[in-house]
Amino acid sequence: MFRIPLLVALALTVAFGIGIVSSVSALKATVGFGAIALGPWVAFPEAQTENTDPYAKAHRARAGKLLYGGAEGLQFTAAIDSTGEKLSSGCTYDIAGVTPPARFWTLYATTANDQPMKTGPELPAATNAWTVLRKPDSSFVIHVSPVAQPDNWLATRRVGAFKLVLTLLDTPTAGSSGLIDLTMPKIVKTGCPDA
Amino acid sequence: MRSALFAILVGLVGAALLHIVIILTLPQFTGRDAYSRVLGLYEMDSFFPLASEPGPTGLANDDPFLRVAVCGFSVDAGPARFVAKGAIPFWSLVIYDVNSNEIFSMNDHTAVNGNLDLVMATPIQLVDLRKTPSASLAQSIMVEMPEEEGYAVLRALAPTDSYEETVRNFLAESSCEPFRR
Repeated sequence: MFRIPLLVALALTVAFGIGIVSSVSALKATVGFGAIALGPWVAFPEAQTENTDPYAKAHRARAGKLLYGGAEGLQFTAAIDSTGEKLSSGCTYDIAGVTPPARFWTLYATTANDQPMKTGPELPAATNAWTVLRKPDSSFVIHVSPVAQPDNWLATRRVGAFKLVLTLLDTPTAGSSGLIDLTMPKIVKTGCPDA
Repeated sequence: MRSALFAILVGLVGAALLHIVIILTLPQFTGRDAYSRVLGLYEMDSFFPLASEPGPTGLANDDPFLRVAVCGFSVDAGPARFVAKGAIPFWSLVIYDVNSNEIFSMNDHTAVNGNLDLVMATPIQLVDLRKTPSASLAQSIMVEMPEEEGYAVLRALAPTDSYEETVRNFLAESSCEPFRR
């Protein structure tokens, strides 16, 4: 007697349950299509434009961030290291190499939810193209670690997984058609002090 | 048993439809997209410098070296003019429409003499401005605004702490006003 209502309820539960969960998880998983990935670094050069896909539009409306315009810069984020493992703030990483051509770049770490890391004001929680110490060939090595390091140190807090954000300001990278050799710095794990 | 499978199948089709509807309509009802947040500052027609900590609207300087100011504006009553000058290492400006689609962006190297002087106007207002050129707009960049409302984001770079004051003055003295001749 309750067969038909039960079946209708089943269909509705499946529709709303899977429909909502899949939408939310799709928006959490990625910013949308049209990513350019250089090693572990991922950027979305089209995410702020009219031509971007509906997922990117929904994502940016939900995140409410002030995105970078085409002439402003391009923001790369890395949630994995160069071997594909998730970045963990208990470990020490070396960011080594050079950035693609840009007038300026900044580097800082965020939590896995894109929130600021909140390291103390006395710790070097961010670095940029002017303050980084370079080798004679202008490449650099930045140690990302929760414990103090010599040379370039980017301080992190132990918050579990984290992301690195590298912003290239006034860069031709987004519109590059392969004429410029795009090399992003490598992220190499050098050890986990406590693990 | 077969009817249960059929019900699940119908549910899956419904889920797919619902997924598409949610993704397509989400931008209209989130209420926390960037434009709503800019409007939530209750500051129209002037650049509002953001703090390092997120305020009630959730907008903040995300990048530790970039100071950001936002300005909601409308070209309904007349063109909007953006002016800023100062010797700082880098600044950039981007104009978004209400749906956060980029309309125009520039930086200090693409500006005249490194100073920001931009006029956003509707196509009719632009024709009017070009017919009777005003001397004060001789150096201005004029850009067509497809919609009436939008917001501007001005970013200024402070590579070291010593630039902090210069950059703060740059943002404080920048203006985003309706243009009157």
